[in-house]
Amino acid sequence: MRLLHLVNGGEDLGRSRWFWIGFAAVILALVALPLYQTEFEASNASYYLLNIPLALGLSMLWGYCGILSFGQVAYFGIAGYAYGVIAGNLTETSWGPLVGSVGGLLLCAAVGAIFGYFVFFGRVQGWIVPILTLVFTLLLETFLGQTAGYQWRIGAVQLGGYNGMTGIPPFQIGNFIFQGYAFYFFALSLTVAVYFISRVLMNAHFGKIMIAIREDVLRTETLGYDVRFYQLGVFVLAAMLAGLSGLLYVQWGNYITPSQVGLLPAALPVIWVAVGGRNRLLAVAIATYLLNWINYTLSEAGNQYAPVIMGALLLLVMLFFPRGIIVAIAELRWPWRRDVTPVSVQDRSA
Amino acid sequence: MATQIPKELETQAESGQAVERRTVVQGIAAAVAATALPKFGVMTRSTALAAESGPVKIGFIEDYSGNLSVYGLQKLHAAQLAIKEINEGKTLKGGPVGAGGLGAEANFAGKPPTIGIEGTGLPVVNDGGPKDHKDVVFAEDEDVLIDSGDKGILGREVQLIAPDGQSNNALWQQLARRLIQQDKVDVLVAGFASAEREAIRPIVDRAKQLYFYTNQYEGGVADANTFCTGPVCEQQVIPGVSYMVEKFGPRGYTIAADYNFGQLTAAWTRAFAPLVGGEIIGEEFIPLSVSEFSTVIARIQQAKPDWVMTLLVGQNQHNYYPQAAAAGLRLPMVSTVNMAQGYEHRRFKPPSLAGMHNAIQYQMEVPTNRNRAFVKRWMAMFPNDQYIGEMAQNTYFTIHLYAKAVRLAGTTDQQQVKKALESGWTIEAPEGAVFLEPGTHHCAHYIRLAVCDENHNVSFPRSWPMIQAWWLQRLGVNLIRHPEYKQYVPDEDPYFAMFLKNKSKKT
Amino acid sequence: MDTLGLLASILYQFGTNAAFLLLAAIGLVVILGMMNIINLAHGELMMMGAYIATIVTHRGIPFPLAVLLAFLLVAMFGAALERVIIRRFYGHELGALVVTWGISLIMGQGTLLFFGPFMPSIGIPGGSFSLGAYSFATYWIVLIGVSAILIAALWWIYQNTRFGLMARATMQKAAMAEALGVNTDRVYMLTFALGSGLAGACGALLAPTVSISPLMGQQFVAPAFITVVVGGAANVLLGAIGSSLLLSAVKTPVGLLFGAFIGTVALLLTALIIIRLMPNGVSFYLQRFTERRVGA
Repeated sequence: MRLLHLVNGGEDLGRSRWFWIGFAAVILALVALPLYQTEFEASNASYYLLNIPLALGLSMLWGYCGILSFGQVAYFGIAGYAYGVIAGNLTETSWGPLVGSVGGLLLCAAVGAIFGYFVFFGRVQGWIVPILTLVFTLLLETFLGQTAGYQWRIGAVQLGGYNGMTGIPPFQIGNFIFQGYAFYFFALSLTVAVYFISRVLMNAHFGKIMIAIREDVLRTETLGYDVRFYQLGVFVLAAMLAGLSGLLYVQWGNYITPSQVGLLPAALPVIWVAVGGRNRLLAVAIATYLLNWINYTLSEAGNQYAPVIMGALLLLVMLFFPRGIIVAIAELRWPWRRDVTPVSVQDRSA
Repeated sequence: MATQIPKELETQAESGQAVERRTVVQGIAAAVAATALPKFGVMTRSTALAAESGPVKIGFIEDYSGNLSVYGLQKLHAAQLAIKEINEGKTLKGGPVGAGGLGAEANFAGKPPTIGIEGTGLPVVNDGGPKDHKDVVFAEDEDVLIDSGDKGILGREVQLIAPDGQSNNALWQQLARRLIQQDKVDVLVAGFASAEREAIRPIVDRAKQLYFYTNQYEGGVADANTFCTGPVCEQQVIPGVSYMVEKFGPRGYTIAADYNFGQLTAAWTRAFAPLVGGEIIGEEFIPLSVSEFSTVIARIQQAKPDWVMTLLVGQNQHNYYPQAAAAGLRLPMVSTVNMAQGYEHRRFKPPSLAGMHNAIQYQMEVPTNRNRAFVKRWMAMFPNDQYIGEMAQNTYFTIHLYAKAVRLAGTTDQQQVKKALESGWTIEAPEGAVFLEPGTHHCAHYIRLAVCDENHNVSFPRSWPMIQAWWLQRLGVNLIRHPEYKQYVPDEDPYFAMFLKNKSKKT
Repeated sequence: MDTLGLLASILYQFGTNAAFLLLAAIGLVVILGMMNIINLAHGELMMMGAYIATIVTHRGIPFPLAVLLAFLLVAMFGAALERVIIRRFYGHELGALVVTWGISLIMGQGTLLFFGPFMPSIGIPGGSFSLGAYSFATYWIVLIGVSAILIAALWWIYQNTRFGLMARATMQKAAMAEALGVNTDRVYMLTFALGSGLAGACGALLAPTVSISPLMGQQFVAPAFITVVVGGAANVLLGAIGSSLLLSAVKTPVGLLFGAFIGTVALLLTALIIIRLMPNGVSFYLQRFTERRVGA
């Protein structure tokens, strides 16, 4: 079965039977979460989970294709606001949220395509791309921040400036509204699905081209691939994944502000991905969940040391586990295997 | 175009199995631990049974770190002081019938006393001269802190649960959820910036949680679960602007933070200035991240106004004051926020805030005896504090008000307490008498005009003993008859359009 | 007389905007432009310099000495950082990025825990002068001059001193320089120290104009990065001058006509377009221009 073969490709952590058993056990634990956690705690877990598609997109973009983007949160915001506007205007109908979700994703894809065209078809390379994406994000934040006036409304929904857009409707299909435990399952299933699709994609032909581009753009081009299209493609894909996270976020919190698109939030996905191990999707997923959980637990405890601890954690991880802590753990037991791993799979780029 | 996996990778994968097994077990353990851990250290569900016994829990979210911590820490101390007093069996004077302060005939000085900036003893720099004017004055009540006859609230101890919002709105939401769903607090007192309030208001409404917002703000919140005890635009903008027009001339220029609060307050100012003989000749909205103001200063100089309305929020924007002073801009200023919240007149060197006016209900320098007693109590508990801002004082009397409402209701059940609060309350706060209006859930305040001179000493040349928050009344908001859960903006009020259309409308 | 005032005002705006960008960027020019370390702690280094200058000035030490002290102390701190942490990340920009972000978190929050949320700032030294209906702060004129002097000083160091020669060699081809006997480790450490010290000094210089709080560094990070990147790597100093002048030339008239917000948007848009159209930055073209003039 080709699909099974693809799922078990080498571009992500874990291929053996034991790995899959462990994986299934974890999924089972997550599914059974409502049995031993309150709705509030499940709601928190939803928050940790919904950031994973964003991180996965960045991992594919950066870890596998070598393009660092600081601007993933921009698409997070675009999708969130789009959903808020569309679903907020269609409150009488029951398919408003569905239309809003689709609309949000499409808008992300469109903006991502335009911006990607602007960047990649000009053959801008190197570390200019992160700066461009960061500037775009700041531009979006500044623009959204000044939409406080009453004239800034689309239909019946006000953009709200720095107060944010409130009262965003939760997701519903038919008459069923996803809240609390229901939303948790929704987020969990979406995240797992996205993970598997990404995993298959990275193990498939598309993923191989990504890695080839990361390793050596010129070589890939001389082999006949139009690098620009592939870069654009993965950029749009990452944008849509970030948008998916944004959609889940507003459906979870019913609120979004321009500060979600600011300088601090822009660096967060980069940190999750770097700490996990940017070229391993599973590592990224685990790191995202854990880092969000740690940050929340620390700050919820009223702990003023939370940012200091996070900073120290980042320092330690990068000093001692530069390839990512999860990846380091996964590769821990066979250091004698390192020299067997072909050079082309090793991550050389910085 | 299938590609073959190189031989080397195959062998690597297979031989890694033994290792993988161990990793996997560790992984499962870690994952289960991760999902289970948050459960520990958090209150169990059995606390729901302890609703009518056990401590009364006040949920309190403010920023103790990050951008807004200078405001958040003041509010925390206010809450701690109020709770200590309640637990010791004290309360503020007041009751569920509205009554203003009493009047008496007395002699007073021609000018108000000027209060200096040195330390917290509120030194009187200039007492205004001989007391040779005779008129009716408001009687001064030294002792507004009286015995409550109760230990705590209804015999139960009051507990403060105060996590740190870290100036991060997403965290605010999580904390609000936790306090409401997990800790099951009896009342939520939270929010400095309007953005923070709006972030948690939907959560509050879904849970029908009793919620107090104790900051001054742009007005308009009509929410059956929310009680706003800070002053709003009609109580601050109109007195302030009318004073400036009278003293300095009709032409005003507004510079405001570019978010809801700044936009809406600027809209208020623009609409109402003509009615008191003024005119806003220009407006500028400044993003919160801007810290460099030479362009703004140049535009103000170009426009040549008589006074400037400053609605600046946050660290970056406060840079305006020293920069304007250094650039030689000596125009008088009026604000509804500065001085009274972030104590800029103590943080910046003179004469940066010279000529700053603010129409506020409270500033630490208020020279009444009851305020001095309050400041003394505060400094006894927190000797290192530098200032007591308006929102800290609001928080203080709000918590006392909550205690009184619970005693009237006889229970901490939130729906009953809301009804008790809607009976119309007067409470004798350090600022003066405050009246909580039943229908609008807002407070009528004692408003004073504070002026800062070039040595940064403060005086209060004018006061308005009671200004109602009448705007929501005009919009027809009566939350007892018709519960609502929204925030009104000036554009929804047809009178604004009417005022804006015609320029000079002095009546 | 007022047209003279207006003209002076526009020139003054232009100068202050450019000086602000330049001062925010100088420290980063050295570290990012020359060492390719994406230093997300740049804002916190400036904050550190501002705090040092403020504390020291409150104790009575004259302001210029305070700036010098800030330079020295932050430079030493930078050297220590480089020794312990940064040197492990040469060639690994992503690692440098995450690590410096972690450092910035620690520095920012640590300052909050240590010094509290606010510190009274020092007044802006000097007075003001007026031309027509406009008045200007003397201090900003001083800052414009100081920023020009700093760039000139950096230029001088890198062109005319032995250290500058070694540093340039190391930047161009480290292996070659090492083979020729240059102690590249020392060069890196000194360069990072220089960059940090400059960031601290600029923070100290800007301290009177801003409010002193633990997160004050954040307002400098974005302008600094944008200025450095628009400047480009061909000639970092020339690029920094060119980009700050260019960006200010866009921001000033737009800001004067339409307001500060639109000015910021215009600056960001310009940066976006320039980076896209001239990926090697402004300095690439400036360099070619000067070389052609000199006949190289």
